[in-house]
Amino acid sequence: MKRVLVADDKATGRELVRTLLENSGYEVFEASNGLEAVKQARDLSPDLIILDIHMPGLDGFGVIEQLRREEHFAATPIIALTASAMMGDRERAMAAGFTGYITKPIGLNALRAEVTRLIR
Amino acid sequence: MPDERFRRLLEAAPDAILQVDEEGRIILMNRVTEEMFGYTREELMGQPVELLIPEELRKVHVGHRAHYRTQPSTRAMGTGSALQGLRKDGSRFPVEISLSPGSSQEGFHATAIVRDTTERKLADDRFRAAQEQYTKKLGETNRELELRSREIERADRLKSEFLASMSHELRTPLHTIIGFSELLAEELEGPLNEKQKRFIQHIHKDSMHLLDLINDILDLSKVEAGRLELRPEPFHLAAMVTESIASVRGLAESKSIALETYLDVPMAIEADRLRVKQVLVNLLSNAVKFTPEGGRVCVEAAVREPYVAISVVDNGVGIPPEEHASIFDKFYQVGATTKGVREGTGLGLAITKRLVEQHGGSIHVESERNQGSRFTFTIPLLKQEPKAKV
Repeated sequence: MKRVLVADDKATGRELVRTLLENSGYEVFEASNGLEAVKQARDLSPDLIILDIHMPGLDGFGVIEQLRREEHFAATPIIALTASAMMGDRERAMAAGFTGYITKPIGLNALRAEVTRLIR
Repeated sequence: MPDERFRRLLEAAPDAILQVDEEGRIILMNRVTEEMFGYTREELMGQPVELLIPEELRKVHVGHRAHYRTQPSTRAMGTGSALQGLRKDGSRFPVEISLSPGSSQEGFHATAIVRDTTERKLADDRFRAAQEQYTKKLGETNRELELRSREIERADRLKSEFLASMSHELRTPLHTIIGFSELLAEELEGPLNEKQKRFIQHIHKDSMHLLDLINDILDLSKVEAGRLELRPEPFHLAAMVTESIASVRGLAESKSIALETYLDVPMAIEADRLRVKQVLVNLLSNAVKFTPEGGRVCVEAAVREPYVAISVVDNGVGIPPEEHASIFDKFYQVGATTKGVREGTGLGLAITKRLVEQHGGSIHVESERNQGSRFTFTIPLLKQEPKAKV
C-alpha cells in the first residue's frame, strides 16, 4: 500500500485528507507541525507528502527546504496545500521544489486526481 | 548758459538732472537734484559727481566714466545692477540713471537723469514678500495634503492586508466544511436518507457561496491595493469569447436563453487573458442571471481605435437610469430587479470595473427598465510594434 504523509497543524484538516485518501486505498500518516513532518518523513519514507504551507514554527517552505537537501527525498512528490490565494504563491511554491499545488478549500476530486497523478 | 525755456523745462522735470564735464565735475543741475541728495546747488556745483555715489563704488565709477568718454551713447546706466545714490547725510537710496553724451565749446559733457526708485522698490519688495508668503503657504498646504494622502494610502494598505489575511483565515475552516460535506455526500461513511442529502447539499451550496464572497473580497482588496499584477500577453479575442460563453452555457440552457456572438474581424489585444476573461464571464453571468426564460444574451466586439469595445447585450429586466451610476459600487445590488436572484456578492461589477481600468480601458452601461442592458468595456488593441531593424 502506498504511503502518504499529511502535515497540517489543524486536526480537522488532517482528518479530512486522511479520510479521503484512506477511502482511495492509501496508508496515511499524520504530522501536526513542520518538525514532526521532517521526522516522520525520514522514519517512514512516504511515497507522497502533502504539506500545509502555513504551520507555526517550521512552515511548509522550511520543511521542503530540509527534505529536498536530502538525496533520499530528491524525487519524492510533495504537494503544497494552502488557504492562501494570493497571486504568485503558486510560482513561489513551485520554485521552492513542490511538485503540486492545491488551494483550500479542496475539491475532493481535484486532490484525488493530483495524488494519483503524482504517486504512480 | 541755457536759455529761459530750457531752464524751465529742467526745473519742471520730476527727476534729478545733472551735467558733468570731461573731468566729471558737476556743471549743471536742477532743483530736484538738491532735494534728492540733500545738498545745496552751491555745495554741488563744480564738485566731482562721485560725491553722490557710495564710497566703495567711486573708484570704479571714475573708470566707467573714462570708458564712457571713449564710447559715448545714450543708454541706461548699469542695467541689471542695483544702483545707489548717496545723500549728504550718508543715507543711501536706490536709483535708476539714464545717460546721454554731448559736446559744446567747453568740450565733452554727459547728462545724467537720476530717478529715485525708493517707492517702486518698496512696492516691489512688498509684492515679492507677499508672493513669498503665498508660495510658502501653498507649500505648507501641499505638504499637509501630501501627508494626509499618505496617511490615507497607509490606512488603505492596512485595510487590504487585513482583508487578505482575513480571507486566508476564513478559507481554512471553509476548507473542512466543504470537504466534509462532500465526503458525507459520497456516502462512503454510510447511506443518507433524502432529507440528510438535502441538508448536506444546503451546507455545501452555502459554503460555496461564502467562498465566492471571500474570493471576491480578496480580488477587490488586491486590485484596490494595487497589488493585482496584470500579466499581459497578446491573444486573439475569438477563442477567449468562446471560452467565456461556454462557462455560462449551462445556466443559459437551463433558462432557454440564446447565446450569440458578433465579432468584427479577428482582433488581437495585449492584455491579461485570465482577467479579461473574468470580466467577460462576470458580465455574461449577470446578463444570464437577469434575463428571463427564453431571452437572448449576446457578445459583440468591434474595433474603436485604439481600443476594442466588447459589449454584452441582453433583453432582460434592465436597470433603471437612476441606478446606472451606482451599479459599479461595492456591495451595490440593483434593488427592484434582483427579485428572486439576489444571490451575488455585490462585488462583481466593482471588480470588473477596476480590472478594466487597470488595463487602461473603461466600462459603461446603457439600459432601460424591461428593455435589457448593454454593458460595454474597452481594452487597448495590440500596438503594431515596428519590426526591429538588424
